[in-house]
Amino acid sequence: MRLEPADALDRVKGALGERVTDARLNHGQVDLTVELDKYVEVVRILRDDIALGCRFFTFLSAIDRSTYKYDDDDQRETGSAGSQNKKGGIEVLVHLYSPDKIWHVNLHVPLDFDAPVCPSITGVFRGAEWHEREAAEMFGIHFTDHPNLTTLYLSEDFEGHPMLKSFKLPARSYVKDWPGAKDPDEAAAAGGR
Amino acid sequence: MIEISLTAWQILVVKLLIILTVVPVGALVGGYVLHKEMAHMQHRLGPMYAGGWHGWAQTLADGIKFAYKEDIIPASADKRVFSLAPAVIFVPVLLLYLVIPIDRNLIVEDLDVGLFFLLAIGSVGSIGVLMAGWSSANKYALIGALRSAGQLIAYELPIVLSAAAVAMLAGTLSLVGIVEAQDWPFILWPPGLGLALFLLFLVGAMAEMSLPPFDMPVAESELITGPFTEYTGMRFIFGFFFAETAHMIVFAAIGTTLFLGGYKPIVPWGPLDVIPGVLWFFVKTSFMVFLLLWIRFSFPRLREDQLQKFAWKFLIPLSLVLILVTGAWILYGP
Amino acid sequence: MADTPKVLEPELQNLQDSSAFANEVSEGRLVTEQMLLNVGPQHPATHGVFRLLATIDGERIVRAEPVVGYMHRGYEKLVEQRDYRQITNLISRMDWLSGINNELPLALALEELMEIEVPERAQYLRVALAEMNRILNHLMFFQSFAAELGAITPTFYAFREREDIQYAMETVTGGRMHFGFFRPGGLKEDVPKGFVDMALASVRKVIKRLPDYEDLLTGNEIFKQRTINIGTLDREVAYSYGVSGPIGRGSSIDMDVRRDEPYLVYDQFDFEVCTGSHGDCFDRFWVLLHEIIESAKIVEQALAGLPPGPIMGKVPRVVEAPKGEVYIRTENPLGELGFYLVSDGGRRPYRIKIRTPSYSNVSALPFVLENTLVADMIAILGSFFFVLGDVDR
Repeated sequence: MRLEPADALDRVKGALGERVTDARLNHGQVDLTVELDKYVEVVRILRDDIALGCRFFTFLSAIDRSTYKYDDDDQRETGSAGSQNKKGGIEVLVHLYSPDKIWHVNLHVPLDFDAPVCPSITGVFRGAEWHEREAAEMFGIHFTDHPNLTTLYLSEDFEGHPMLKSFKLPARSYVKDWPGAKDPDEAAAAGGR
Repeated sequence: MIEISLTAWQILVVKLLIILTVVPVGALVGGYVLHKEMAHMQHRLGPMYAGGWHGWAQTLADGIKFAYKEDIIPASADKRVFSLAPAVIFVPVLLLYLVIPIDRNLIVEDLDVGLFFLLAIGSVGSIGVLMAGWSSANKYALIGALRSAGQLIAYELPIVLSAAAVAMLAGTLSLVGIVEAQDWPFILWPPGLGLALFLLFLVGAMAEMSLPPFDMPVAESELITGPFTEYTGMRFIFGFFFAETAHMIVFAAIGTTLFLGGYKPIVPWGPLDVIPGVLWFFVKTSFMVFLLLWIRFSFPRLREDQLQKFAWKFLIPLSLVLILVTGAWILYGP
Repeated sequence: MADTPKVLEPELQNLQDSSAFANEVSEGRLVTEQMLLNVGPQHPATHGVFRLLATIDGERIVRAEPVVGYMHRGYEKLVEQRDYRQITNLISRMDWLSGINNELPLALALEELMEIEVPERAQYLRVALAEMNRILNHLMFFQSFAAELGAITPTFYAFREREDIQYAMETVTGGRMHFGFFRPGGLKEDVPKGFVDMALASVRKVIKRLPDYEDLLTGNEIFKQRTINIGTLDREVAYSYGVSGPIGRGSSIDMDVRRDEPYLVYDQFDFEVCTGSHGDCFDRFWVLLHEIIESAKIVEQALAGLPPGPIMGKVPRVVEAPKGEVYIRTENPLGELGFYLVSDGGRRPYRIKIRTPSYSNVSALPFVLENTLVADMIAILGSFFFVLGDVDR
């Protein structure tokens, strides 16, 4: 029972109302901007409301908008919800999908650039655990109420948050020195295994 | 006929030499057969280069390669037990060759209790596997050793009971006597019973040697090599590869002796008596080896608890029932 | 023992609580200890450098925690510093078994943003090549699953079939595994003469031999005992983890992007979406095998109805995506591959979020592996059809 994008947008606006600050269509998908305090509630409604039924958790990630070229004109009806966000901070992006009604929703949650804190939606979607861990280590976002916020990809002693625009990828330049012993004698002397 | 008289000591030396040449050569040939059969079943050619014609020297080359590998013992392993384990696995296999009759008069040691000796010595290897796994200080080896111990104990019984049934039918424990007591058609008589005992023995033998579908202990894709994971070089060859191949050949030989008529011709047709018994024995043993390998490459492996369930809940009750049937046959049959 | 991650340290302390220990012993119960087993990162059964921290009690897994990232190459950062045309070669190395399918969402996303019209011939060829790659991928997982369960022979049969299809794809693209063939707007070049016959012959050969493979494995008692009712994945749990592809369809998730939101020209082809009803290893494997048949059907239809014409649309010399964001998803052989492309004008993307199927599928492993046997763990890992490049990006 397919839901056309325009109908989906109407239903979403009806179900969520004031909880979202912006709702629009972008390339056939519903785009929403949600503030932090309403974020988990909106996700829960999107999943549980029978008329919406977004039970499939596609992904959760983040976008560092600090160097994004925003347009001067902020009354545009086209473009994604995220590109209307003027804060220039970090934006958490959640994409949900409804398998029965076949429609997509993108949720943009703008965060402060200097102290990105966001509630976790692992209570609603269990699969968010890994996605939030990755976003946390890559962007420096702290997810509250997360059951296991350790690094996923990076090693524990990694410094910095790679996906931020301020983190420059060294092009074959300086690489840190090997922290361990440099030859077998040193390793044996240090009582290596 | 030239009369050769040797002292007891000289006879002993000759017997040892026979065993120590036959077994490794047999293992080498067995290994080559394994490679080639597996290859042809899998749409490949197998060894082709080592030694020239169709890679006949492949296993020899492998053995030489293993001989000059570095001998590594893990630092936290129990060194004495670790070094002894391959010997505990390999020596009983050598001893098994002592009592196999390849012809009426060609047997290294004609024991009156040959079958008993076989079954007793054959189970010593289980201790070796446990020793290998425990002393390796490796969790995977430990898991493999425990699985193996359970499996070997469980599948001893079908082998022992089916061999016991054969001994009952033949009336003797001596292997030569068992062969002599068999007549054509070998496993088809007693009807049904012979075939059932043979299949029971076959399944038990496959599990004893940890061949697929019973190779949980050495499940290559899970435990790498199970209890032998930490072994390298000659220890690995003697404890694992040689023992496995030599074990397979000797179990094929035992199966031939107990069920297929040993060195007797396949059909009691006059002109076939010209062919020496040794040749018949080799033909039958080769067939058994081929059969074991064929099953080995076709099936996925059973999970450990399914394996145990199969043994304790199905095979052992079946073998006990077959013993009863054998007894009834002896008492009331023709 | 391997380095214990910080998250598990409190657990280990509980294990050694001496008073509880003494209590158990005095009451005559058999006291067992839990062992921490490191499966990987070097292990024959895991497809690549994948580590699973399993806490086992005897042969039963109490909990299993996947540790990933051993192959993390930082794709999402790398693509931000590359031209759109350079990204194509980079991203086909994510899921290396479905090489050409990885390039598809990028081409589609750019075509959506730049509003490029792709000619029919290119669409049909894209479908044909993508489906041929799907057959390659599924044959690969067919043999790896069988090999992990101990059946070593299907490996060689599967590779024999793959050889012909790979040869056909090599004559077109020049590659056997990484192709670099799809461009925004169409294809790199047209197919050579004789390709259609070669491709059809290779695909038909697979279909002819497929019933044998089915008998060899799915009819085998031992195989059924090892896979039926093992590793069941419930549908709602699968939804919450985002499990898609053959694994999802094995759990009766009736999702297939090719049918639900047809991209390219999939709406013109007649094919079925196979689903399994129990969500166990056997169903996942069954779906995998039957998808090969469906893919072959699509290849036949695509190549039979191949229209003549150009293979590249009107693409400006400099590929610059206008400002905008779009999420394009395609049905990768392993699941739903999605690209969320954020562009603020320019030749390089501002941000691409690559949603890979294996990442979401593998995140469901802790749930599936709880309370299973160690030997079942191998079967479950094998039936989860993941590629490390996809998980780690």
